[in-house]
Amino acid sequence: MELVEQTHKSTLWEKLSVERIKMELLRTAFGHSLTFLSKFDPRILIGWYSFFAIAPWFIHDKTVLIGMLLAIAILTYTSKPSVLVLIVLAFGLVTDTAYMLIVSLAFGGGLSAAWALSTLTLKLLVIALASIAVFSSIDPEKLSDALLSLGMPAQFSFGVAYGYRMLPILIEEYNNLLYSFRLRGRAPLRKGFLGYRSLIHIGKISILAFYPLILNTAKRTRTTVEALEVKGFTYAIKDPKVKRIKLAYLKILPRDYVFIAVSALYVALLFWMGSIINL
Amino acid sequence: MNAGSMKKRWELTSQQKLMIFILSMSLYGISNMITELIPELKIGPIELKVEYFIFIPLLFAILFNPLYAALGACVGEIIFGELLLGQFGGLGELEKFIEFSLAIFIAGMLVTNPSNRRQLAIAAYVAIGIDQLLGTIVDIGKVYFGIEEFEAVPGLPESILAIEGFAFLNAMVISGTLFALLPTLYLVPRLYGKVEPLLGMKPRDGRASTSIGDFVTPRLLIVGILLFAVAGAAEFMAESDINFIDWESDFIAGMGDGAIWISMGVAAVIFITTLLWALNKKSNKRKGEAA
Repeated sequence: MELVEQTHKSTLWEKLSVERIKMELLRTAFGHSLTFLSKFDPRILIGWYSFFAIAPWFIHDKTVLIGMLLAIAILTYTSKPSVLVLIVLAFGLVTDTAYMLIVSLAFGGGLSAAWALSTLTLKLLVIALASIAVFSSIDPEKLSDALLSLGMPAQFSFGVAYGYRMLPILIEEYNNLLYSFRLRGRAPLRKGFLGYRSLIHIGKISILAFYPLILNTAKRTRTTVEALEVKGFTYAIKDPKVKRIKLAYLKILPRDYVFIAVSALYVALLFWMGSIINL
Repeated sequence: MNAGSMKKRWELTSQQKLMIFILSMSLYGISNMITELIPELKIGPIELKVEYFIFIPLLFAILFNPLYAALGACVGEIIFGELLLGQFGGLGELEKFIEFSLAIFIAGMLVTNPSNRRQLAIAAYVAIGIDQLLGTIVDIGKVYFGIEEFEAVPGLPESILAIEGFAFLNAMVISGTLFALLPTLYLVPRLYGKVEPLLGMKPRDGRASTSIGDFVTPRLLIVGILLFAVAGAAEFMAESDINFIDWESDFIAGMGDGAIWISMGVAAVIFITTLLWALNKKSNKRKGEAA
């Protein structure tokens, strides 16, 4: 009876996680994203993101950070992020904050420590939401070409696009391997203290399943690279002419400048507000 | 492979390097997504969690080329484990990138013979040890040198030290043994000679081994220290009290309220200049194409 219950529970967990991730990834990799942010040039978006990924670290003013958070939260909402990603983010933030709070209370820091740490949480939230908003809006193809035009090596930018496309397939394969390991293997009869036996069992299977996965992925990678070489990938990509033709469709339009200008104005406004209101 | 290339260890073609990069990137990316989703187990202040499946890049570093395996793993982590899941930490990631790739690279270089179990065990612990130790040093240093705000709060430095100490021990014992040592010892001998033909390569030859002294050259050490300094500096800059707002408000108090508008004006001028420059560049390019 115990055994049946345990296996049922873990399948439910996998349905919740693996299936959902797969679907979300498929959507990101193959779906045409028609969100507000996807209308802009990917290079502009990467530049915009890099500002919001780095600047919050240097800002200690809570007014500015809260203002940034509001704007980015709205943009994240328009880019229709997956619920799963948001849950993971929320879970991580809540546990991190709670943990720091408990430890600083235990060492006698009190609530003032928690207040000092809330700035850090705000910063992390701004950065995390900005990355979700931007990277769930850019198509993998566009992202890869933007990286190429920003001067990244061609191997790198190809790897990014390839990885985006391959990841759902690889996750499905890993999931199937886990199932077949569990079908052929035997779950521990007794769970042990706090279920440590079944934990060890699951851990062992999840590592062992990488063995066939590595072999299969190696085969697949070779096929891909050979197909690329038939097209003369490594030679063609070194040629600036090929690169220019490949990237010709990336154009920075007036609306991109408007987007940047509006963002810059908004940030300036926040700094002005920050100098008036002190939190 | 001829005799000349044997001397230089394996001479890999650029296609093979691309294969190693992609393999390491996609597999480590997957494992990273999995570890991000595994819940942590907390017993009091001790936190038991699966840090990462470090054995995956380690396998490729040992079996193939350490450099491309390390770079691929870092890229995979950043893209699939962080950007896609919204866990990207900005500048702090630079530090992690350098620490992790350095750890994998050095561990991969240490192994001269993949069927020697002692070397594999040493490499597994060296990889996780370098990565975790550098991370812990930077984290503790951040609290002690960087953030004055933390010093003012009683109890926080001690608690950070305790958290970091526990995290380090946890990583070495749990991740080091369960997710670096055992998988490496199990998988490397099984994959050695089997996965290389699938990539169209010759297995790494045990006889073509070279002494460790050949790889741990002064240049490698200097580059390593330099990279680490850059990463540490980035972290300190991000976390420390180079408080632009405080500085700015002092400045404003001295100069009057107009100062902020002056600085905004400067920013606007820079922005417009960049815009004009970009447009100019574009029109030049068009002319070039037409000619």
